[in-house]
Amino acid sequence: MDRRQYRVKLSVQPSRGLVDEKFIILVQNTPPGFWLTIHALHKCEDGHSWEAFAHYTTNATGTVNVSEDPSLGGTYSGVEQMGLLWSLRPVPGSKPALRLRKVNVLTPMEVTISVYQGHQTKGFMDQVPLASTVVERWYMAPGVRRVPITEGGLTATLFLPSGLGPFPGLLDLWGGGGKLVEYRAALLASHGFASLALDYLTPKITMETGKIVDNDYFETAYRVLEQHPEVLGSRIAMLGLSFGTSMTLKMAAYSKVMKLRCVVCVGGSHVQPIEGSVEQILSFSQKNAGKTRINEENQVIYRNLQLPIPTDPAFKVDVGRLQCPLLLVVGEDDQCWPAYESAMDMKDMMQRAGNDHLLTILLYPKAGHLLEPPYTPHARFTTFRRVDTREKVVALWGGETVAHSHSQEDAWRKTLDFLRENLYGSTNPGAASSCKNN
Amino acid sequence: MFMYSVYRGCNFEKSYYSSHLCRQVVTFSLYVTSTVARDHSVGGSYLGCEPMGLFWGLQPAPGAREGLRLRKKNVETPFVVVMSLLEGHVSPSEGQSTELAAVATERWYMAPGVRRIEIRQNGLVGTLFLPTGPGPFPAMLDLWGMGGGLVEYRSALFASRGYASLSLAYIGHKELPGPQNRLNVDDSYFNSAFHLLQNHDQVCGDRVGIIGLSFGVFLTLRIATQTSLKPSCLICINGPIGSTISPRKTGDTTGLFGSGDKYWTYDDQGHVSFRDMSLPANLSPETKVKLEHLSCPLMYILGEDDLSSSSIETADVIEETLRAAGKSQLLTRLSYPGAGHLIEPPYTPNARASLWTVKPKKQITLWGGHLAPHAAAQEHAWKKILDFMESNLRR
Repeated sequence: MDRRQYRVKLSVQPSRGLVDEKFIILVQNTPPGFWLTIHALHKCEDGHSWEAFAHYTTNATGTVNVSEDPSLGGTYSGVEQMGLLWSLRPVPGSKPALRLRKVNVLTPMEVTISVYQGHQTKGFMDQVPLASTVVERWYMAPGVRRVPITEGGLTATLFLPSGLGPFPGLLDLWGGGGKLVEYRAALLASHGFASLALDYLTPKITMETGKIVDNDYFETAYRVLEQHPEVLGSRIAMLGLSFGTSMTLKMAAYSKVMKLRCVVCVGGSHVQPIEGSVEQILSFSQKNAGKTRINEENQVIYRNLQLPIPTDPAFKVDVGRLQCPLLLVVGEDDQCWPAYESAMDMKDMMQRAGNDHLLTILLYPKAGHLLEPPYTPHARFTTFRRVDTREKVVALWGGETVAHSHSQEDAWRKTLDFLRENLYGSTNPGAASSCKNN
Repeated sequence: MFMYSVYRGCNFEKSYYSSHLCRQVVTFSLYVTSTVARDHSVGGSYLGCEPMGLFWGLQPAPGAREGLRLRKKNVETPFVVVMSLLEGHVSPSEGQSTELAAVATERWYMAPGVRRIEIRQNGLVGTLFLPTGPGPFPAMLDLWGMGGGLVEYRSALFASRGYASLSLAYIGHKELPGPQNRLNVDDSYFNSAFHLLQNHDQVCGDRVGIIGLSFGVFLTLRIATQTSLKPSCLICINGPIGSTISPRKTGDTTGLFGSGDKYWTYDDQGHVSFRDMSLPANLSPETKVKLEHLSCPLMYILGEDDLSSSSIETADVIEETLRAAGKSQLLTRLSYPGAGHLIEPPYTPNARASLWTVKPKKQITLWGGHLAPHAAAQEHAWKKILDFMESNLRR
């Protein structure tokens, strides 16, 4: 046993925080110029282990402050305050193409942060660290309430912020993989938005009848929010990622029921048969199935299914009709949807219609498709099963890890600012009434 | 704008504690930007710039029972404090005001990964807290006062800061032998506890300190000067160097706590102060610890408004004795004006007086300490305690 062990002080502050909160990792009481490795270990819900590590040399006072000092190598380099989380990757020997997603948001992600002597790259589990501590990362802030929603035939979960309310509301949609994904809605509630995570591709009603839902399902979800005693019915937003963008734009432009205050679209496009049902929109891209590319690593690239962007207005949402602010979040290296090309076309349409003052585009070079809340690992490709084709593939999402992780941090902050301005602000930049002509 | 914090429930009943501060309105909107850490309170439970005032300023809400003291019994769950923003400058007793927003905060004694282990061996009654990590760790033996029971929260915090810590019950606990209002254990009990720590495979045996509050000070100094044990350092808070009773020797039947009551004094509300019991002049001479045998650093912390223990006089005697023995360099003395007896970890409210017994009659005892200076003392002292432990147990 190295007798210096008891001296090394490792602290991570805060030791309990939200997933999108930064922490400060401090190592103290080591000799100056000491080589050490800081290591992060997380065991996720399906049993896989993820790790990240970085090499540091202590300064003259025998200290390392991860938010100020550069990593000399490891799973990230340079000064990266949150690198130990976003550079997490499956430990050697794991199944390939894994994706880290929290299913149960009532418990935190637990990450063990340890300090090892020397600049190590492997074999961490066979060694005794100099010091170790556990950090909890929560999707739900204290006081946030989780309410399963089944009324109106919905498969959804409502997250209510702590406090008395009423609160602005938000409809939260994910993409073509289906299922009820709660973590982003939980996090948004932690920031003061009553958020409804909606399963619209694999809800109970679809699993039982085989029928894909249609517009009225979304409008029911909107009504459930609007009529909820703790929600401000006049301040409801909609946020969609990937195929969720298609649904979001469809509702924002054409629904007579939904009066959305603002809309956020991440990694998606406006290309769809505008007269089509949800099921038809889902199968629309399959007509171009031949355009699906498979690269040398056997990863599927879907982005060309919607290219080129049609000129026929029957095949793209008329965003010139929108009367509420629209935020587009685009990774330029998105390999799944042509989000960039679509955003450029939407800008063009809105300029010609004269409502482009409502449009904000966030462009992130080298970011991929999965622009999610920050500080969780980036995956350039993962296994994916689409609900419509039922095939299991390895989908290429895109994105270069460092740039993608920085983009997530920036995009999330700007998304929250956008939601706050539009849902909490006293001025109303766009008309709060329905987003349609006459 | 008015910020209002509420803690619901305490260790023995559902009482509401509340504190409030009143602040100037700068802008009004649903999304307020003001920062408690920077801005000044102009009234309420505290004044001035106090980032943590909404926690240490908590007081029993109007209508609460008399004599309450806020202490966490179950350290495995957090205190939940609800912070609310109300319109205008109001007091809770004035009735309703419009609540604009609220958040819940959690305050924990145990950091993630800290392990809580119940100790019931060798006749000991205690709880050991171990930090996360590979160990072994420097350690503390944690002793409280005549209020008795098993008080875990300070040990839980030490473990959260990297020290193994053993909270030890020695009086007033149903698992200890004999009547609960009496000290029924002797020196061997404390020796056993110290050895348990020293010999634990997660503890660095040569880096064990002792902390005592109130009567725990006497026990701490006794272990350090009258046994063969060699603690690395001692922290003593507001406690005596002797006793009106001693750890029981076989056949000694005079160990009743009540034997000190000729020294009790009462204020005009009938609240009792135990202060004079620990005046050096009033102590049983054979119980006075032999400070000249001290061989490790000692930090003595005192509240100048301590109404339960004669801390100033005690500190003076300690200082003089050590000076005469040529051991002044071992002593660090911290003296806090306006602070009372219960100098505890920071950001929880001080109780100037609280319920001591309910039988044979309801008796409230005086601790002393005024809210703001006591809070400042706790914050400062805690930092000094951790620095002292760092220097003596980690370097």
